[in-house]
Amino acid sequence: MSELEKEQPVSKETSAASRRDFIKLAGALAGAAGVTKLFMGNSTTARAYSGGEDGTGHKWGMLIDINLCIGCQYCTFSCEAINNLADDMRYCVVTTETTQSGEEFFLSRPCMHCDEAPCVHVCPVGATYKRSDGIVAMDYDRCIGCRYCQVACPYDARVFNWREPIALSPQSPDFGYQEVPNRPRGVVEKCTFCSHRIDAGLERALVPGVDPQATPACVVACPTTARIFGDMNDPASPISVALSQAETTLRLREELSTEPRVIYIPPDAHSDNRFQGS
Amino acid sequence: MQTTINYPKLRFGSKYVDIFPYWISLLFLGVLFGLVGVFFVLRDGLQVTGLSNKVPWGLWISIDLSSISLGGSAFVFGVIVYLLRLKRFEVIGKLAVLLGFLGYSTAGMVLLFDLGQPFRFWHPIVFWQPHSLLWEVTMCVVLYLTVLVAELIPVIVEHPFFDGHELHEKYPIIKKTAAFAKTLTHWLHKAGPILAVVGLTLSLLHQASLGATYSVLFGRGVWFNQSAPVQFVFSAMSGGIALLFFMGTLVFRVMRPGMVSDDTLYDVARIAGGITLLLTYLRLWDWAVTNYYSFDRNISLQTEALNAVAPYSLAFWLGQALLPAIAGSVLLSAKSVKNFRYLMAFSVIPIFAAILTRWNYNFAGLIATSTYDPYTPIIRVSSYTPTWVEFAVASLVISYWLLMFSFAARYLPFQSKHSEH
Repeated sequence: MSELEKEQPVSKETSAASRRDFIKLAGALAGAAGVTKLFMGNSTTARAYSGGEDGTGHKWGMLIDINLCIGCQYCTFSCEAINNLADDMRYCVVTTETTQSGEEFFLSRPCMHCDEAPCVHVCPVGATYKRSDGIVAMDYDRCIGCRYCQVACPYDARVFNWREPIALSPQSPDFGYQEVPNRPRGVVEKCTFCSHRIDAGLERALVPGVDPQATPACVVACPTTARIFGDMNDPASPISVALSQAETTLRLREELSTEPRVIYIPPDAHSDNRFQGS
Repeated sequence: MQTTINYPKLRFGSKYVDIFPYWISLLFLGVLFGLVGVFFVLRDGLQVTGLSNKVPWGLWISIDLSSISLGGSAFVFGVIVYLLRLKRFEVIGKLAVLLGFLGYSTAGMVLLFDLGQPFRFWHPIVFWQPHSLLWEVTMCVVLYLTVLVAELIPVIVEHPFFDGHELHEKYPIIKKTAAFAKTLTHWLHKAGPILAVVGLTLSLLHQASLGATYSVLFGRGVWFNQSAPVQFVFSAMSGGIALLFFMGTLVFRVMRPGMVSDDTLYDVARIAGGITLLLTYLRLWDWAVTNYYSFDRNISLQTEALNAVAPYSLAFWLGQALLPAIAGSVLLSAKSVKNFRYLMAFSVIPIFAAILTRWNYNFAGLIATSTYDPYTPIIRVSSYTPTWVEFAVASLVISYWLLMFSFAARYLPFQSKHSEH
C-alpha cells in the first residue's frame, strides 16, 4: 500500500514493474489482499495520490474576498455558460447571509475542493477523486448516480443531472460558450475549478490565476476581483500574495475538518470596504 | 414424509373459499403497476421522482434499507442451525434463509432503479473504492446474496418435483437439471457451516456499515449519532427475527401444524424479544451520549436537528423506545403468554420499529441539514414527496416479496427428508 502510494506512475513500464515486485513480496498467503491492492493501484490510489502532495507540484486554491463581493452573480452565470448548465444546475451559487450582528453579506460558493473531501471518501466506485493538484474531479463515465456524494457534501456543492443535457445554457452567449463536453443524464456533476482551462493553459505555458485563458471562468468574470485563483505552492502566485496580506481568513464549516481549498476573507476585515456595509 | 399443508381459507356464508388465486392476482396487478413505473424510470431517468438535490435519497432507499434489515434473521439462524447445531431450529432456519433471500433480492431490485445509471450497477464490483462504506455494503450484499442463494437451493430442491415428475420423462433437460440440483444440494449441505460463518461475517459487516453510511454524513442532521452501526445490526436482528416469528407461525403453526413445535416458536419469539429489549436499552444510551456531547455550537445544532425531525423525535420515543420495550417484554415472556394471537400482534412492533429506524435515518435524518454559512448557520428542513412512479416501483418490489413468499409458503415442503439422520 505505502509502496504504491509513494510511487508516482510516471510510465506504464515502471508501474507494471512495481506491481510485479509487489506481488512477489506479497507471497501466497497475502494473495487475495494483493489482488485487492492491485485493483486499488490501478484505479483510485494511483489517481488520488499520484504526486503534488509533497509541495513540488501545483496546489490550486481560491480566495474569495467577501468584502468585495457585490452579489452580481457573474461567477454563477459564467460558470453556467462554460459548463452548459441550466439555471437549476448551478455549480456556483451566491446567497445573502448575515453576520452575528445581523449585517448582510453575499456569500458565493463554488466547490470547496476539500483536501479531505467527504465526497471522495464515500464514492463507492471512485468516480470522484482528488487530483494531485488538489482539484476534486469527476469521472463521468464511472459514476453510477447513487448520489451518496451529494448526501455527504456539507456544502451542497454537487448537483445531480436529473435530465438530458440542454442544448444551450440560458447564460450563453452573454457569459461565454460551452467549453466542456456534456455529461450524461443520471450522473452527479460538480465544479471542476475549470480544470480544462488549467490543463490546457499549463500545456501552453500559461499561468493559471494570471492568464485569463488558464483561469477559472468565475474568477475571470468577477467584476470586482473578489475571487483570486492560483497555485498555493508558489509563493509568488496571486493567491499566495493575497493570503500573506490578508489579516484574517475563514473557511466554511472548518469544524468538519474537510480542509477546503477555497478560502474567504470575512466581511468587515478591511477598513476600506468599498462595496459592503459601512 | 409428504407434508400436508392447510391452505388458509375464507368463509363466505356456508362456503370456504381458497383465497390464494385472488391474492396472487392482486399481487400480479401490483407487479404490473410497478412495471409501468419501471418503464418511466428507465425511459426518463430520475426526474420522474420527487427527489431533488436537497433530498437526494428517498422512498426507494428507505425500502432498500428496510428490506435488508428484515432479512436479518438469516444470518442469526445460519449460526444457530449450522454452528450451534440446535436441530429443532433447522426447519425454521429454512424459512429464515427464504426471508433473507427475499429481503436482499428486493433491496437489490429497488436499488437498481434508484441509480442514475442503472446499467452501471456492476461498477462497484470492478472499480474498487474500499474507503467507501457504500462500496463495502454493495460488495457484502452481492456476496451475501450469493451465500443466500447457496443456502436457498437446498430448501427449494426439497420440493417433490425434483424427485420425479412427468415433465422429467418428456424433457430430458429438466431431468438432468433436477439431478444436478440434487448433487449441488448435497455439496451445499456439506458446506453449510462455512456458508454460515461467511454469512455471519458479511451480515455483521454490511448491516453495521449501513448505519455508518449515515454516521459519515457531516452535512446532515443524523451524522452525530455514535452508535448507529451497532443500532443497525441489532435492529436488523430484532426486526428480522420478529418477522421470522410472525411468518413462522403462519407457515408452520397455521399451514403445517405439528412441523415445528410451539416451544420452538416461543424460543424464536424470545430471541426476538431479548434483542428488541437490548436494542431499546442501547438506544437510550445513544440518545443520552449524543446530548451529552452537544456542548459545541455546531454539534448542538445537529443535535437540535436530531431532536426535531431525525432519530430522537416523538417518533423515536413512541416507535423506537416505548412500544418496542413493551413488545420486547411480551415476546421475551412468550412461554408465559402462550397465546399466539397476542405474540403475533406484538411481533409486528419490532418489525415496524426496524422499518421506522431506517425511515428515520433516511427521511428525517437527511431532510434536516445545517446550512454552510459561517456566522448564523441554521437547520434547514427540506421537503420531499414521492411521486406515483416511486410508489409504483415500491409496489413492484413489495409485490415481488409477497408473491415469492406466498408461493414458497404454499408449495415448499420446508422439511428435509434427510433430517432424521
